[in-house]
Amino acid sequence: MKKVLALVLALAMVLSLAACGGSSSSSTTTSDSDSSAAADGTTTSDSATNTDTTTLNINLASEPAYLDPALNSSVDGACLAVNSFEGLLTYDADGNLIEGCAESYEVSDDGLTYTFTMREGLLWSNGEGLDASDFEYSWRRAADVETAADYSYLFEVLADCQYDEDGNFIGLGDSSVVASEDGTTLTVTLSAPCPYFLDLCAFPVFFPVYEETVEANNPDGTTPGGWALDAGDSFVCNGAYVLQSWNHDSDMTYVKNEYYRDADSVSIETLNFMLSSDDTAIYAAYQSGDLDFIDTIPTDELGVLMAAEDPELYIIDELGTYYVTLNYNSDLWDELGLSETDAATFRQALCLLIDREYIVDNITQTGQELATTFIPAATSDSNGGLFEDGVEYYSVDNYEANVEEAKALLESIGFEFDESGMLTTDVSFTYLTNPSGSNVTIAEAMQADFASVGINMTIDQQEWNVFLETRKAGDYGVARGAWVMDYNDPINMLEMWTTNSGNNDCQFGRDDSAELDWSVYDDLITQIRNTADTAERVTLMREAEDMLMSTWCVLPIYYYNDSYMMKSNVSGVLATVTGNKYFMYATKTAE
Amino acid sequence: MGKYIVKRVLLAILTIFVISLITFFAMNAIPGGPFNSEKATSEATKAALEARYNLDKPVIVQYGLYMKNLLQGDLGVSLKTGRNISDIIGESFPISAKLGLAAACLAIVLGLVLGSIAALMRNRVPDRLIVFFTTLVTAMPSFVLATLLLYVFCMKLGWVPVWSAGNNNIILPVISLACYPMAYITRLTKTSMLDALSQDYIRTARAKGVPQIKVIFKHGLRNALIPVITYVGPMIASILTGSMVVESIFTIGGLGSKFVTGITNRDYTLIMATTIFLAVIMVIANLITDIVYKLVDPRIKLE
Repeated sequence: MKKVLALVLALAMVLSLAACGGSSSSSTTTSDSDSSAAADGTTTSDSATNTDTTTLNINLASEPAYLDPALNSSVDGACLAVNSFEGLLTYDADGNLIEGCAESYEVSDDGLTYTFTMREGLLWSNGEGLDASDFEYSWRRAADVETAADYSYLFEVLADCQYDEDGNFIGLGDSSVVASEDGTTLTVTLSAPCPYFLDLCAFPVFFPVYEETVEANNPDGTTPGGWALDAGDSFVCNGAYVLQSWNHDSDMTYVKNEYYRDADSVSIETLNFMLSSDDTAIYAAYQSGDLDFIDTIPTDELGVLMAAEDPELYIIDELGTYYVTLNYNSDLWDELGLSETDAATFRQALCLLIDREYIVDNITQTGQELATTFIPAATSDSNGGLFEDGVEYYSVDNYEANVEEAKALLESIGFEFDESGMLTTDVSFTYLTNPSGSNVTIAEAMQADFASVGINMTIDQQEWNVFLETRKAGDYGVARGAWVMDYNDPINMLEMWTTNSGNNDCQFGRDDSAELDWSVYDDLITQIRNTADTAERVTLMREAEDMLMSTWCVLPIYYYNDSYMMKSNVSGVLATVTGNKYFMYATKTAE
Repeated sequence: MGKYIVKRVLLAILTIFVISLITFFAMNAIPGGPFNSEKATSEATKAALEARYNLDKPVIVQYGLYMKNLLQGDLGVSLKTGRNISDIIGESFPISAKLGLAAACLAIVLGLVLGSIAALMRNRVPDRLIVFFTTLVTAMPSFVLATLLLYVFCMKLGWVPVWSAGNNNIILPVISLACYPMAYITRLTKTSMLDALSQDYIRTARAKGVPQIKVIFKHGLRNALIPVITYVGPMIASILTGSMVVESIFTIGGLGSKFVTGITNRDYTLIMATTIFLAVIMVIANLITDIVYKLVDPRIKLE
């Protein structure tokens, strides 16, 4: 009896693991697409397909926190926003920045004044007219500190910004953005030339919202997003789709907005979103044909799909870097007996000891590019080129050579190795991470890399919220770091390291006794923000990244990419390097 | 009985007050906050949010304000989404309760039947099969069972969709929720039935020629129910308030996930509301359990 029971239990476990894994598809080619490219499936996979050609069933993530484009700060929320709202500018099916609500725009010679001429006949989803005054209202609202939008700081590129007595940005002044009386033009004044300003005009926090329902649902000023908490009359938008129903934590349905300016070219009538982050259920729903598009793929399936070159698997660049962050002011360096200069050399040695290829091949498994810079390789320099073109702060071609170089660096600062290549003195530190995803596995891989030369790394796992607080407060020596860019310009990943930035996890400039003068970096960022010459701006941004990397407090591991699956009968979904998916360009066939 | 109920209700109010007090100060004591994110929120924005939700005030003042609003029926809004907590619970609890109630009924009915069969046919084939089945189900975590059901019935047999917009199937989640309590009730029933059937009054009843069916249901099962009722009360309270695992696998917007997301997001108002709500349900379930004791066994005195 016991043997039978054991057998059945084992069978149940095997079946459950099979269920967890799902079944993989046979295939012929992997579809790699360039950044901002529309993805087109070309061959068929053996997973079931849904043949309702007017409906797309999609999973992006679980329940979005906000549908209000001003309050949203998540990538999945931004995807919903770009499909239901439209800014002055937008992206076409090929990923090119084009006019959206604006018919045209003019830029003054000094690059400080943008005059947008609005399209005629723009309408909200309730049939009411939309003009430049809606943009003025929406931008002022999103920038207002009382709205408490996470991305309000993006409006600081505008002129006449308002600050409190502590220097915190609290809103826009009268002359920052002005709509003409007839609502046909919107004039925006910048404080300094901003090469990525037009990109911002297509970013969700710059989208218009419908004043009447926004204000009606925020009577006492404490519920700014109250108008977009459920489907119904209060949810008014101006994009391709309008929210029809929302069963919280279960599903959402968007239907085509008949008042959308380009509604005739929208082929898909209905978007159904499965609100789930359970990758097993999501993958099962995709395999059974209940979903046409999924943005979450189980990690253990990715390797199989990659190896099989599944034609329904798409992998595109995403502007983000996974890295190790080190606290410049940590007591760790004193405990190791290292001066500031020697500590930088020690950190450089750590950087070289990380076997990035192993991490990407065996842990993350979606062919991420090994990082040799902090700014992702695919990032534009806003001057017609790629910012990191030809730049490498270290090589990743030969790991063994890197290990030897790391040992030489350690010897140069007084460490000694025995005959077996291990350090003769105790070198230990703790690596702080949150346990989700592959973070711990990556930490364990690095732990093994460091142990190979006798460095002991202990992994300390903290729950997400605690981890963020600990890292922000600088109560750590070495920790996990990651950043996905909001817009395609290097400044987005450089300004985070200024002394007073809330994202300065390395704590640069926060110890007055340090030899490092970080005000130089702060000044560089200020210069970058104020420079009109885009070529000069690139040079300054290069200087800033050089200075950042010279500290070796940021050890890049790999650049993010974005993997998703889409049925072979669906095509035309635009996926951008910032993670947004535009479904209004999609088409679906019955086969 | 009436006096007992009044006394229990007063005690319940005190219990809930103590739970609210402990929860409020405990959640404020743990590190982290509702406005933390990978990309730091600016100081001005954070200050505005803290002022909006009274988080800039001392914890004791916050508690006072919370309780004052609570007594007026205002559970506040989620710090993470801005939605009214009463709306969140009002929408998600009926979903969880519907599934939970169906699962509880299934578990109780099947558990009592299987437990009785196992006791009456002790050491025979049906008993062996039931023991085997209940052991298997008890040993299997709910996420394994739910995934297994998903794999077999949705993917292999294709009888129900894995997911369908606005049309959740409830059969598989109900089975997932019901299996463990059903197995537990089966084992409890079997044990207590065996105990009851070996009592003198059963022998006496049989000697007096009472029909077997009456012996089993009136004298055997009724006396065997007390331990089952002890388990069923809290079980119903727990199952009605949802299961995060089952809700997640079947994409059901129930209350179960709110308990966990509230804590991970440090969504203080959601933590407080879900805790107090669960406490109220638990207190009511315990009270009903005590009353049912009395109805089932008049020898029990409620004091």
